[in-house]
Amino acid sequence: MNRTDVLRYIAGLRNGAAMIISPGLANYPIAEAKDEPLTIYNMDMPYTTPMALGIALGWPERKVISIEGDGSLLAGPGVLSTVARYQPKNLLMFVFDNGAYLTTGSGKAPTATVFGTDIEQLGRAAGLTNTRTVHDLDAATKAVKAAFIEPGPWLIVAKVDKQDRPAERGPHTLPMYVYEAGLVFHRAALQERSVKK
Amino acid sequence: MQVRNRRKVVGASKARSSRTTALSTGKAGVRYRQEALESFYDGFKAAGIDFAVFLPDSMLDGVEQLILERGDIEAYQCSREDEGIAMAMGAFLVGKRPVALMEGSGIGMSALILARGIVQKTPTMLIIGHNSTLGERYDYHGATRLVAEPVLRALSIPYHVLYDPAHIRNVVIEAQATVEGQRLPFGILVPSHVIREIGESR
Repeated sequence: MNRTDVLRYIAGLRNGAAMIISPGLANYPIAEAKDEPLTIYNMDMPYTTPMALGIALGWPERKVISIEGDGSLLAGPGVLSTVARYQPKNLLMFVFDNGAYLTTGSGKAPTATVFGTDIEQLGRAAGLTNTRTVHDLDAATKAVKAAFIEPGPWLIVAKVDKQDRPAERGPHTLPMYVYEAGLVFHRAALQERSVKK
Repeated sequence: MQVRNRRKVVGASKARSSRTTALSTGKAGVRYRQEALESFYDGFKAAGIDFAVFLPDSMLDGVEQLILERGDIEAYQCSREDEGIAMAMGAFLVGKRPVALMEGSGIGMSALILARGIVQKTPTMLIIGHNSTLGERYDYHGATRLVAEPVLRALSIPYHVLYDPAHIRNVVIEAQATVEGQRLPFGILVPSHVIREIGESR
């Protein structure tokens, strides 16, 4: 299963959901599918789901998505216990597990999932109940669709290949700089919520 | 002390009873200066703080328990301080006025997320137990006092070390003005004598 196919499916269902994306290649398919103002690209590695959790708790009427890699989730797995503790129904956590720190250097450094660490089981041990591990696109799309329909929090681990790493790495561009991301997101959220600041 | 809005807060354990004397907590029997706890709470309310994240610590437990007890500021407990700061920043992004409370050691864990908040213009107020100079009587806080203020200085995050409990309310209000006006994190450091009863076990 290719990560890009799943990301495009998520982007198609997104419909204004807030989204925080961990650093790396997952950012580009989302931006290419449709850039939305309630997006933080390239969040520093352990903070994708924590920031998404704060958004979900602060705005319970809005769906909030965290796009994690196996490496980024394993950098701060304690957040799974915090998510389980507060059970935000509007939080969807998608973890793309390719077994490697694919974006970095050679992309050959393996993550702990290659040696048996099971991210879904980490979530279940933390107290999450809506969890799936999916191995093909059909199962992935069904799980993603269920997560958009049924109350969360959701933890979906997609076992993906490494095919979305380009053979030659050229310069990447995203729709906005990190410097402006907080301003754009904040302004869009306030406008939608009609919060006067 | 008048109790207001005693609704249960998500994730809170059973709310403590309101008392007219100093709160006590933990095996050490720490006693807090009630006027200091009230001043923090009043400052938060006056500054519009409506979202609190904390990792429990003995210096700020009295404030955290008061927030839970009063119940009209959303309060959440995190598993690590840097996680909590990221949660607070997420809440800021959607219009909340957050505060993150922690021991100074947590600032040592949080340099990267604080830097991210500066770069991304996504701030939060920080209430920090301990400081570099005043009242640090225990060796096991040696590392704590070595990281909190230096990390704030290294990142050019404005901060204020409290000395007089009478200043707490205004410092909180003015700190939040800087958070919102400059879109920067702001640290308020709390030495022991400011929040704990003098002469008690601390």
